[in-house]
Amino acid sequence: MNGRVAALIGLFCMAAPLLRAANPVTSYTADPAASRLNFTGVQAGAEFTGTFHKFTAAIDFSPDALADSHFDVQIDLNSLDSKDGDRDQTMRGPDIFDIVHFPSAHYVTRSFTKTPTGYAAQGALTLHGVTKDVPLDFQFTPAGGGARLDGTARLKRLEFGVGQGDWKSTDQVGDAVKVSFSLQLKPKP
Amino acid sequence: MPTANSPARYSRVAQWLHWIVAALIGTQFALAWTADDLPNGARKLALLTRHKSFGMTVLMLAIVRVLWRLANRPPELPPGMRPIERGLARATHLAFYVLLFAMPLTGWMMSSAKNYSVSWFGLFTWPNLIGQNKAAFEALKATHDFMSDILFAIVVLHVLAALKHHFWDRDDVLTRMLPFTRSERG
Repeated sequence: MNGRVAALIGLFCMAAPLLRAANPVTSYTADPAASRLNFTGVQAGAEFTGTFHKFTAAIDFSPDALADSHFDVQIDLNSLDSKDGDRDQTMRGPDIFDIVHFPSAHYVTRSFTKTPTGYAAQGALTLHGVTKDVPLDFQFTPAGGGARLDGTARLKRLEFGVGQGDWKSTDQVGDAVKVSFSLQLKPKP
Repeated sequence: MPTANSPARYSRVAQWLHWIVAALIGTQFALAWTADDLPNGARKLALLTRHKSFGMTVLMLAIVRVLWRLANRPPELPPGMRPIERGLARATHLAFYVLLFAMPLTGWMMSSAKNYSVSWFGLFTWPNLIGQNKAAFEALKATHDFMSDILFAIVVLHVLAALKHHFWDRDDVLTRMLPFTRSERG
């Protein structure tokens, strides 16, 4: 190896962060107090909506750098709240979320695309020990130093084995579940 | 003594409304008692879902019944009834009309307070009457349960009274409410 090659490598190493900086993604976290993660199911023919109070979201995103963007969301299933204690206990129990064995759900993105109304993400959700692809549709609205992230995902609970025994039937609780989120993002310190 | 103002018999519509609602109320007790014995779960939910759909049907039919009753004079009570019997009959019938509304409405409010919106046989969803509220739910449930005991008591009274009129007094109080019959007594 001669000095010229070493100098080129050195130059490249110095330039690499600058090349990245041309298309930067900003790393955000969700402000829990100003963020919502809700789920809507159909029970007994009528919709019901609940929320997950505890979750963490690491959002690396820039509209100009979709290839380098990445979401990583961890949801504490024990924090679910369907505004009825009896239903919450049933959902935490062994036949639905089985939180003793599967206390959290995890969502990681793989790729992003621009859509007419916003963005779409391809990613995988791990829930109840099962990992399946779940796409997201969302809008990203920069505001102040941070941003607003609003969107939805649709999944089928039975694909994740959420609903065993009598709850496997979709007579009383529908298979389709809508997840909607509205996150207040602040730049990671 | 049928006159233009007081028919001898209940109209066909009144008869059918009476018996459909009677069958629905019988079903409501059966569903509620069966559900009460079950632990929280899919089967209990299924029974209560049906209970709510039937209950909302009773509420809609109650509106029809009141309108029909206001527009169509019912037959007179048979002559010879003592004032206390007339008073008891009127009080029982009034209590039925009150409960035909109060039972479904407290049930609907109970469901709203527990954040379980009421569907009508899966075809559409009724709006929530009140917001989610645990204390309100408990109070409404106690009221619904208490009124169901009263309803059961007056159903028993109503049936016994109809049988007494038919077999003891031998008047047409029962037959004039029966479709496919003609009142020949009284």
